[in-house]
Amino acid sequence: MSITAGKMLARDWRGGELGVLLLALILAVGVVSGISAFATRLQNALIQESHRFLAADLVVRSSREMPQGWLEQAGEDGIEQALTLVFPSMVYAGNESMQLVSVKAVSDNYPLRGSLTYSEQPFGSVLPAADGPAPGQVWLESRLFPLLDIAIGDKVFVGDAEFTVAAAARTEPDQAATFSGYGPRLLMHYEDIPATGVVQPGSRVEYRQLYAATSDALETYRQWLQPQLQDGQRLLDVSEGQPGIGSALQRAERFLLLAGSLGVVLAGVAVALAARRFSERHNDYVAIMKSLGATAARVNRLYGSSLLLLGGVATAIGCFLGWGIQAVFFQLFGDQLPVQPGPSGIRPYAIGAATSLTCLLCFAWPPLRRLSLASPLRVLRRDTPMENRRTLGDYALGLAAVTLLMWGYSQDWQLTLAVLAGLAITVLLGLVLALTLLRGGRLAGMRAGSIWRLALAGLQRRGTSNAMQVVIFAMAIMLLLMLVLVRTSLIDDWQTQLPEGTPNHFMINIGPEDVQPVDQMLRAQDIASEALYPMIRGRIMGVNGEELPQTDDREEGRRQRETNFTWSDTLPPGNKLFAGQWWQAQTEDAVVSVEREFAERLGVSVGDTLMFLVGSEPLEARVTSLRELDWQSMRPNFFLVFPPRVLAPYPATFMTSFFLGPDDKAFLNQFVRSFPTVTVIEMDVVVEQIRTIVGQVSSAIELVLAVILAAGSLVLVAGVQASVDARMHESAILRALGARRSLVLGGLFIEFAAMGLFAGLLATVAAEFSVYVLQEWVMDMRYAPSPGVWPLGIGAGVVLIAGLGVFSCRKVVSSPPVALLREL
Amino acid sequence: MAGTELQILKGITLEIKSGESVAIVGASGSGKSTLLGLLAGLDEASGGRVIIGDTDLGELDEDGRALFRGRHVGFVFQSFQLLPALTALENVMLPLELQGQARAGELAETFLARVGLGPRMSHYPRQLSGGEQQRVAIARAFAAHPSILFADEPTGNLDTRTGGHIIDLLFELNREEGTTLVLVTHDQQLADRCQRRFCLEAGELVVE
Repeated sequence: MSITAGKMLARDWRGGELGVLLLALILAVGVVSGISAFATRLQNALIQESHRFLAADLVVRSSREMPQGWLEQAGEDGIEQALTLVFPSMVYAGNESMQLVSVKAVSDNYPLRGSLTYSEQPFGSVLPAADGPAPGQVWLESRLFPLLDIAIGDKVFVGDAEFTVAAAARTEPDQAATFSGYGPRLLMHYEDIPATGVVQPGSRVEYRQLYAATSDALETYRQWLQPQLQDGQRLLDVSEGQPGIGSALQRAERFLLLAGSLGVVLAGVAVALAARRFSERHNDYVAIMKSLGATAARVNRLYGSSLLLLGGVATAIGCFLGWGIQAVFFQLFGDQLPVQPGPSGIRPYAIGAATSLTCLLCFAWPPLRRLSLASPLRVLRRDTPMENRRTLGDYALGLAAVTLLMWGYSQDWQLTLAVLAGLAITVLLGLVLALTLLRGGRLAGMRAGSIWRLALAGLQRRGTSNAMQVVIFAMAIMLLLMLVLVRTSLIDDWQTQLPEGTPNHFMINIGPEDVQPVDQMLRAQDIASEALYPMIRGRIMGVNGEELPQTDDREEGRRQRETNFTWSDTLPPGNKLFAGQWWQAQTEDAVVSVEREFAERLGVSVGDTLMFLVGSEPLEARVTSLRELDWQSMRPNFFLVFPPRVLAPYPATFMTSFFLGPDDKAFLNQFVRSFPTVTVIEMDVVVEQIRTIVGQVSSAIELVLAVILAAGSLVLVAGVQASVDARMHESAILRALGARRSLVLGGLFIEFAAMGLFAGLLATVAAEFSVYVLQEWVMDMRYAPSPGVWPLGIGAGVVLIAGLGVFSCRKVVSSPPVALLREL
Repeated sequence: MAGTELQILKGITLEIKSGESVAIVGASGSGKSTLLGLLAGLDEASGGRVIIGDTDLGELDEDGRALFRGRHVGFVFQSFQLLPALTALENVMLPLELQGQARAGELAETFLARVGLGPRMSHYPRQLSGGEQQRVAIARAFAAHPSILFADEPTGNLDTRTGGHIIDLLFELNREEGTTLVLVTHDQQLADRCQRRFCLEAGELVVE
């Protein structure tokens, strides 16, 4: 047909009726595709990040040398490979000084993921290394240079072999995973191991085979390898504990998904409102077309294809917007992200297109479909009723679509239900409250002055439609408040977790005789540190008289395991008592307090008895309490805490953590010279990285919030517009009858402000409830009421809706009434 | 309607011959527009029959009536009923396009020229005066070559002079095209120009 959908859309665009509909669709697609592209790329980045912490994609760890055949098979499968071996040994310098070190021998390809760094001088500037030490050379950790009193180029011995010190070793990607606590690092080449003669059967060593390849090749190899593993050999992959960055980013990702879901709901509501208004405005057109011979099928075809065309355009622009949103996010991250974001693929944009289609089918099509039922009699009689009543079916379809979209998008029932519960409360409370309050308005209005009377009469007259509008406004405001609340507490939560001055260095292996001097030295330098905690290495042997299985290294379940104990008469700071009771100070009872998750893995609870081995001494203690810890606090944390007197007979070392600014790092040199046996673990780079990323993620969240706010405003605009025609008509008649400008505008202002007030009130109640559900059950955060949100919600409701309402109706006082009446 | 049925038209029997021009007159609320709606197939009668040519409109559903209107019926309304988003030319083309006429544009141009709007074809309704809008509506009505034309108070929104011109145009085109004309009006002078007149009073036909 030559009166095509395209022509009609172009004409409607000129008429300004498509703006809100198109914008709402574009926003829906943009928000969904942008956020999911961002989340996908972030997820890929996180996986890469995890690989970096393994220095490979897949690792096999063992205390014995592993079959050469495994490497050969991997080679045949086209998988990259490298080897490492970590063992404690003494290093001797020519001048008779010696030091216990943690040796790490690495093969040529090491590392397969992430990068190795070195410096040309101890504590010098950090450089990325293309390869590890060449055969015959070693790299030493910076603090070994003063300890051994040597310089770059000097010779050192490990076992029987002599090596040239070629560089200062700085960082390894898998440092945390292979940290053994035996002292400073010495890096050497894998081929040099036999020459040293120190690795003998039964030595305490850890072999690792590192693999990297595409995920398909790796999966095939894993299938092949898995059945051949024996006791003491273990496969490690990305599921290995992610560092603090991971959890911050994951929570941010959840927030983004929540924001995206809310954005979709808001955009859906805006689409529905805009489509309804579009259809109301087209009622007369359809009547004319039908009087001229258009059949219902013809009208459906016309509006159906218009909608498809509109959807196509909106999807294209929306995907482009989505691409832009995620690009801006990564721009914000800049170089701070530890790895390059992975590709997002086509999926996020496909999700965007599916969202657009769902919005069109479930929100826009129902009112447009009913256009074909418009009576042609309207050409003769304008008072013929319009075919625009919403049926129960429409609401059911809308609800189903909202649920489907939110779930499909977040893949999270809890989150979906939390938001739906909030929406349901808004609707129910809204209808009750709005109807009651609006009815109450009549009595008050009888005695009020004329502006008030006009406004309240208006509220009263359009009671049902006003109540519906109040509910829609309240829904939009509620979703926005919810997002603001979650965002605020999320960012606060991060900031309290890693505040300025978070400990960024750990000290371990402090001998009992060094406790006082170390403490004094820290105080003398004005360095804020945590208390010094005693640390005793021990082994858990059994529960309630029953021995646990020995070293089954493959399972994380009930087994014997070695861990660090500490003692304390009081609950350590940052610990929360979860069950049971803390002991009396000075107690001599053999009791122990266990970390909650650790207790779950062991399958013990309060009242059980644990059997330990400390050195060669057996020890039994009854569990009297379970504690919860914050593992991201960068404080010394322990699974097992005993009363001091119980552990007194056993030899202990001490540990602490402290904050050292970048300008005070030279203190470490001085410190390691004074306390050569103490090991210092530098976490400052990691802590700083976490802090920076949290900052960037916060910016990303603010940006998403802004986009969602735009979607929310669109709902408000669409909602106000929906009622403008009727209000303008009445106001135009009032103007024609001589009403003053201030009376008409004042009346409209009060009417809209009252609706805004109700909407804001409802929204705040429902938002608090939803946020409670979300934080307690979905986001794993603690809920705290936010008194500040009440004035914000109510104020925003009044200002936004009154402002938008009066703005949309301003034409009524600036144009001649006749022109308006003719137009409407 | 609150339990009681409101009967708008009662016992009306009338026959209009092909090519005839007929006026339906009556006061406001006498049922003129209702009768017109029924005759034109815009509305369904609760009783009785409307037969145009060989077609009993009561036997058609709304879609059937729409097709019938497109093929046989033309309208001129008091409030013009032009689509505001379409130009004058596009408005005239609309019924032709709905019928799938290949030369819709050409035909529409011819008719717009015949009503004297040749130079204003690309104007939108809001850029045209009331008289001009009604001329577009007349061009639209005749362009589809209807066998019967219904005009509902065609001069109701126009001043006397413009109204006079519009009526001249309407009758002139009607003669040239040989269309049956059914005109609803309360203007006696206008009614007098028709060959026959029917008067409605409270829904009943009064013989003149």
